[in-house]
Amino acid sequence: MQHLYEYIRQFADVTQEEFAEMAKHLETVHCDKKHILTSKGQIEKYLYIINKGLVRKFFYKNKTEIITQIAKENDMVCSSVSFLSQKPSDYVVETLEPCTLFALSYENLQKMYSWGHHMNRLGRLITLDWLLQKETWEHDRLRHQPRERFIRFMNENSELVQRVQQKHLASYLNMKPETFSRYKHLLRGH
Amino acid sequence: MNEQILYKHYLETVHAYFKRFIDMSAEEFNMIAPYFEIRKFGKKTKVLKTGETDGYFNIIMKGLARKYLLVNKKEITIQLSTEGHMIHSEISFNLQKPSDCVIEAIEPVTFLSMSYHNIQMIYEKFPNTEKLGRMIITEMFIKKDQRDFKQLNTTTRERFLDYMHNHPDMLQRVPQKYLASYLNIKPETFSRLKHLLRPKRSAG
Repeated sequence: MQHLYEYIRQFADVTQEEFAEMAKHLETVHCDKKHILTSKGQIEKYLYIINKGLVRKFFYKNKTEIITQIAKENDMVCSSVSFLSQKPSDYVVETLEPCTLFALSYENLQKMYSWGHHMNRLGRLITLDWLLQKETWEHDRLRHQPRERFIRFMNENSELVQRVQQKHLASYLNMKPETFSRYKHLLRGH
Repeated sequence: MNEQILYKHYLETVHAYFKRFIDMSAEEFNMIAPYFEIRKFGKKTKVLKTGETDGYFNIIMKGLARKYLLVNKKEITIQLSTEGHMIHSEISFNLQKPSDCVIEAIEPVTFLSMSYHNIQMIYEKFPNTEKLGRMIITEMFIKKDQRDFKQLNTTTRERFLDYMHNHPDMLQRVPQKYLASYLNIKPETFSRLKHLLRPKRSAG
């Protein structure tokens, strides 16, 4: 929880007492690996903050799974558009490892917003952070060749490389598993 | 219409847009309204260049603008916007750092703009705008995610037809190469797909 407090304080002044009040609105969820948190067509009820474990978000293109997020400890994950709009989800959210999650329900979030302006400010700045991350990801994808993206990702996410199956990493980087394997030789030490 | 009437009309449009998200009386809106500025740019003018820090949040009142990235001397169009829509460099504006993209007027454009400084001031001075800001950003996030999803989940043909159906005037207003780039379709393929738009002749 301390990490979550630090995260929130990047965006707005929140006292320990206020944070304690916010924390009361989080539910702790334990689940196994390969547990479906949200299925396609379902309305996303929760925003999850990962305390322990890994979660992926994907959609089906015909029968192929396309992964758009791999979230680890302290990351937030949910079918975000469905959560924000309360419309059926295009995505599936599934655990990759056994997980402990803090879950904030849509109702509880709305309740927090009713506490006042500074909760709305916090919500505004966190949503903005999501938007900017999305924008940055898109620019990187357009600006860099697959090979370059691969090297950057592997260097910056060495921990995920150990924990996530290659086929999932390849899907997340929008490349064929064969291409992914071929690029791996680029990483070997000289 | 003279300028003054047009300006008033623009502000009314923005007030109506805000009211979709929060209750805001005419009195409340009138306190914010003076912070909007009218900015005009000629055809093909760069509103924002790479390396400049974007100081303005713009709502298009008239005209058409695009946003693009320059990658190995090639322009990749990432946004095409017309009347009633917003355009700015999200990253540069919000983080107040040099832009990695260019905003350019395709037609002469008139923006109703608010500076970064004034927006921050308004959030401080009128705290109920926090909710408005949150909801506008939420809508921007949803639209962006839906566009990303479409780019990944549709065929070239579907993307083409879907866009042309929803934006029938764009083929006349925007050079084809920009449309093709925006839809991530090769220019040759784009030309070929255009035959799908011709009305089918009835038999007989």
